[in-house]
Amino acid sequence: MGSLAKGMRDAFFDTLFSIALKNKDILLLTADIGAICHDKFRKSLPKQYVNVGIAEQNMVGLSAGLALTGKKIYIYSIIPFLAMRCYEQIRVDICCMDLPVKIIGIGAGFDYSTLGPTHHGTEDIALMRFLPNLTIYSPSDNLCASEIARKSSREDGPAYIRLDRTGYPPIYRDSGKINMRLGFSVVKGGKDLCIIASGNMVYTALKVSGRLSEHSASCGVIDLFKLKPINAEKLICAIKGLSHVVVLEEHCLSGGIGENIAALFLSQMGQCPRLKLLGIPDRFCAEYGKRESLRRACNLDVGSISNIILEWIKK
Amino acid sequence: MALNAGSGHIASAFSCVEILVSLYHGGILRVKPGNAAYRKRDRFVLSKGHAAIALYAVLADLGFFPNSRLDKFGKEGGHLGVHPELNTPGIDVLSGSLGHGLSVGSGLALGARLDNEKYVTVVLLGDGECQEGMIWEAALFSSQHNLNNLIVVIDYNKLSATDFLKKGLSAQALSKKWEAFGWQSIIVEGNSFEKLLPVLRGVHGRSSSKPLAIIAVTTKGKGVSFMENKPIWHYRIPSGNELKIALKEMFLTEKDVNYWKGDLS
Repeated sequence: MGSLAKGMRDAFFDTLFSIALKNKDILLLTADIGAICHDKFRKSLPKQYVNVGIAEQNMVGLSAGLALTGKKIYIYSIIPFLAMRCYEQIRVDICCMDLPVKIIGIGAGFDYSTLGPTHHGTEDIALMRFLPNLTIYSPSDNLCASEIARKSSREDGPAYIRLDRTGYPPIYRDSGKINMRLGFSVVKGGKDLCIIASGNMVYTALKVSGRLSEHSASCGVIDLFKLKPINAEKLICAIKGLSHVVVLEEHCLSGGIGENIAALFLSQMGQCPRLKLLGIPDRFCAEYGKRESLRRACNLDVGSISNIILEWIKK
Repeated sequence: MALNAGSGHIASAFSCVEILVSLYHGGILRVKPGNAAYRKRDRFVLSKGHAAIALYAVLADLGFFPNSRLDKFGKEGGHLGVHPELNTPGIDVLSGSLGHGLSVGSGLALGARLDNEKYVTVVLLGDGECQEGMIWEAALFSSQHNLNNLIVVIDYNKLSATDFLKKGLSAQALSKKWEAFGWQSIIVEGNSFEKLLPVLRGVHGRSSSKPLAIIAVTTKGKGVSFMENKPIWHYRIPSGNELKIALKEMFLTEKDVNYWKGDLS
């Protein structure tokens, strides 16, 4: 399991590095947030790597100026310092001008578990969803992150890409299963219900599905890795005939993909399946420990999720 | 334009007219009105985007777009808004939210450096705008990266939207602040072509490795006595007798504002 050691961040930037080697117009900007996978940019592509310093707002404006000269820019920092601190800069400088700047937020959900609420990336998707022109990706594993790196380098507009630092077991064995055009993949079929999950929660969803099968419930899992725009028509096709659908995310429930999908289903389906939205409740999480402990505090661990779903489908 | 649309920042525009005319009509900025997207052109960022009304007049006068566009400023079916956008020929950067322009300008200047292009980037900031923290993030970055192809002109008119900046920085103190951030800094009379042009002529091929800040000491509402140095005129359109006085002081007649179809009385 070599992929365990390397996380989706490494996979993303390794792929980006190989693309940047062949394209000098690709630049990586960081706001003094390091990553070992950035070292080769620093060493081998010094003209394509800029540490802007601890000045995230300037980094966003700077990336817009560089993009206006024909460059394709990747900017990198911890989610709250980018998606939240720089919201208006992202809105005006990147989205209003529709520039090829890819915003890479590190630390999805409770990834920075011990660093406290200042470092938790738990409201970013809600904020980014509101911005016109912006595409949003949230890869579920290393292969998926690689594919998104490749796809984003070919796309012209702005994008927000939400990454984990830490490594988890893979969801995909080969990239052929990752349908970039569709924006989601059915990673496991199910007859009774389905969990639509994003990011690292896809792995949790697969475990939950295993737990549910012990209780004779056949639960499918969909990896929704493109969060904006969502291919609603195809997603509705994928869950057709199921009576229960769960949306699972490591993000606050307000404004998350659960709300988004609920609105899509309600407005576009004649008859909606019953929906359960699982995410972080309306509070800051001041617990510490491993990511799993924080998830447990928010009922987002495999045991809690399985129990919630079992009780729900019995009703 | 402002009369016609009933909207616009006249006093902010009057404050920087001489700066804009010097840059464009004075031949400082190397631009091609017939080919606005010319790759090697000098870049201009109107960071105090609310003064766009003055920039539009300058760009139209040079032929970037027909004068007829000005008639539809701020109007339904028009292309020119109170703040500049990329769909207007000659506008390099969308602006309107204060504090952004120097960062974007730094990106343009860094892009030129990476591509070995000789063009310069000129950013026009308001003095009130210098209260925004992002300006100083960019000031620090651009001097650390020796972006000597980046020029800032500060429209130092000593007023912001609602108040005087007299409790803020003197021109000398502001100049020292830019120097402390690693910039070369010059103070100049900003409503005088004679004083501005010699300073601006030096922006290309500078020998200093530092970016350059030009603090242009100006008068907000310049040219109309009752608008000068009056915070209330930051966002106000004259009418009636005010308008008559304004036109007279600017040596204009009713005929000169020929696109205006309103009532002068």
